[in-house]
Amino acid sequence: MMKINDHIPLKELFAIRGMAQVVTVTFGLVVLCIIFGILNPNFFSGENTLNLLRQIAPILLIGISQSYVLITGNIDLSIGSVVGMSTMIASTLMSKGGVNPWIALLITMAACLTVGAANGLLVAKCKLPPFIATLGTMTIARGIAQLANNNYNTDSIGKILGDEAVQGFRDFFYYGSFLGIYNTIWIALVLWIAFNFLLGRTRTGRHIYAVGSNVEAARLSGVSVTATTVKAFLVSAFCSCVVGFILCAQAGMGAMDAGNTYELYAVAAAVIGGVSTLGGQGLLIGTVIGASIWGVLQNGLQFANVAVAWRNIIIGSIVIVSVLLDVIVRTGAKSKKVMK
Amino acid sequence: MKKFLALLTCLLLIAGLFAACGSGGTDEAASGDTAEVAKVYLITMDQMDQHWQNVNKGAEEVAAANSDLVEYKWSAPDKKDDAQQIDKVNNAVADGAKVIMIAANGPDAISSALEEAAGKGVKILYVDSPANFPGEATFATDNKAAGKTAGEQMLAELQAQGITSGDIGIINVKPDTTSCVLREEGFRSAFEGTGFNILTTQFCEGDAAKSQDAAANFISQGCVAIFGTNEGGTVGVGNAIKASGKSVVGVGFDKSDTILGLVKDGSLLCTMAQNPDQMGKLGMEAAIKLLNGEPIDNKNVDTGVSVITKDNL
Repeated sequence: MMKINDHIPLKELFAIRGMAQVVTVTFGLVVLCIIFGILNPNFFSGENTLNLLRQIAPILLIGISQSYVLITGNIDLSIGSVVGMSTMIASTLMSKGGVNPWIALLITMAACLTVGAANGLLVAKCKLPPFIATLGTMTIARGIAQLANNNYNTDSIGKILGDEAVQGFRDFFYYGSFLGIYNTIWIALVLWIAFNFLLGRTRTGRHIYAVGSNVEAARLSGVSVTATTVKAFLVSAFCSCVVGFILCAQAGMGAMDAGNTYELYAVAAAVIGGVSTLGGQGLLIGTVIGASIWGVLQNGLQFANVAVAWRNIIIGSIVIVSVLLDVIVRTGAKSKKVMK
Repeated sequence: MKKFLALLTCLLLIAGLFAACGSGGTDEAASGDTAEVAKVYLITMDQMDQHWQNVNKGAEEVAAANSDLVEYKWSAPDKKDDAQQIDKVNNAVADGAKVIMIAANGPDAISSALEEAAGKGVKILYVDSPANFPGEATFATDNKAAGKTAGEQMLAELQAQGITSGDIGIINVKPDTTSCVLREEGFRSAFEGTGFNILTTQFCEGDAAKSQDAAANFISQGCVAIFGTNEGGTVGVGNAIKASGKSVVGVGFDKSDTILGLVKDGSLLCTMAQNPDQMGKLGMEAAIKLLNGEPIDNKNVDTGVSVITKDNL
């Protein structure tokens, strides 16, 4: 078995890694867009395109978070809580402490990365099941979010600093635009390019895939499983933290339940895009499509005046179908190999 | 493999079409003559609470009677969430809404998004809960006045029973839930200058079980009356009084089936019912006025509360 695996040509390997599903869901996305465009021509207006992309941006970022962790064969349930923690710490520092926004963001980032590192160490070093480890940090991080401002949502972040002083921060993450495109979209794009490069073109990226495909094989070939896993969880915490900044800039205050259940949106965006929950497989371009499908459904179904309940049913069905595809492809590939 | 891909594509298509069918009816009817019809959006905190459904009902009625003027859409996040509600506002603006009627989830979080919308020429009306951004008008319960009414009802009952002094407990939601804090303020004002002593408020996050525990504590402390400021709190108060079997006077807010049941069996003296359908109705009438370029005379309308007792149930 092992030997056959080793001889699969590189080209075929890439094909298995999920390109097929990316192509399929891209087609699905196009179909959805066309349907929504027919139902309501405003869907394709320039204004809505920008608006839609701005809504997709945070989903894409948490999607990147979850994709990295899923590819290592783990899951990160703490994403939503880290988003909430990020929002609450940043806005408490500004609204109560009068801390300069950019310094507040640095402190917040340090706190969030600590959670990421803890996740990685608990899973890789202490051998806790990722579901349990991140369930724990999820609860702790939400508790920290609540504790940050003493169990209240914060006041306006400009309360001490003045509204003008925080406007720069709010524009940078949400309200401003560059070359006619909202900054939120640029942020997501830049981070996506960076993390796509890290995953696809560097040694760290190859290690992440290796750990997800077969932990033992990776360990035997000299990959540091602990370091790789920690790195993946750090990327996850980093992106979640940035989403927290975006929510903070958007609302101009911190809400304790911000980011609630985002970890599940992130799983949905990742698996719709072909990232395997079994590890070792997935492309970040797929995550873009997954996040877009999520965003397009949110936006398009509102335009088509469909009740929230239907949106949930449709999204749920799409998630199941996507994973079903993954399972079918994997079992198909396995039986083929055996036949050879 | 190819077959499965084809099957998948079909499934996606069907899912998409499903969405299309779900909405096709209303959309076609409305988009037939788009020249004069203006889009009016109602954005509530969620779509699940009966309260919002009644706001929608009120708005829908008026919109249906003016379908030559208004294309009405109701949208809301699937749970109470600032970020999601902001997305809904942005979507409505992108969809070309002329008027947005909104129940703000939080007064601050949504303000910048509404400012952005107003900057694009969209008129903002508030129903139920205003934000800290000046809208064209607000149609909401005057919570302070409603709380005072609740206090007066309780006081009248206590006096009728010949009780003139004693402790009174309050079950509230959270210290930053503005509407309920105002209700409490109004309630307390009704007891100024009487012999009653109002104890420290218990905050139970609107959770019926927690509220019941806190209310039971009040009863064992010897309270003569308890006030619940919202639906969950009221259910808790009613159930605690029922369980204790004592003649404690309970007054609450909102009307769910459970609360009406507790009023019916005498556990609660009365409950203050808001008039969400009035919010929707008056809000939509104001939206039509705005579309016609007419001025709105009363910019801050109290949609009032109805006192529901065993007798008028």
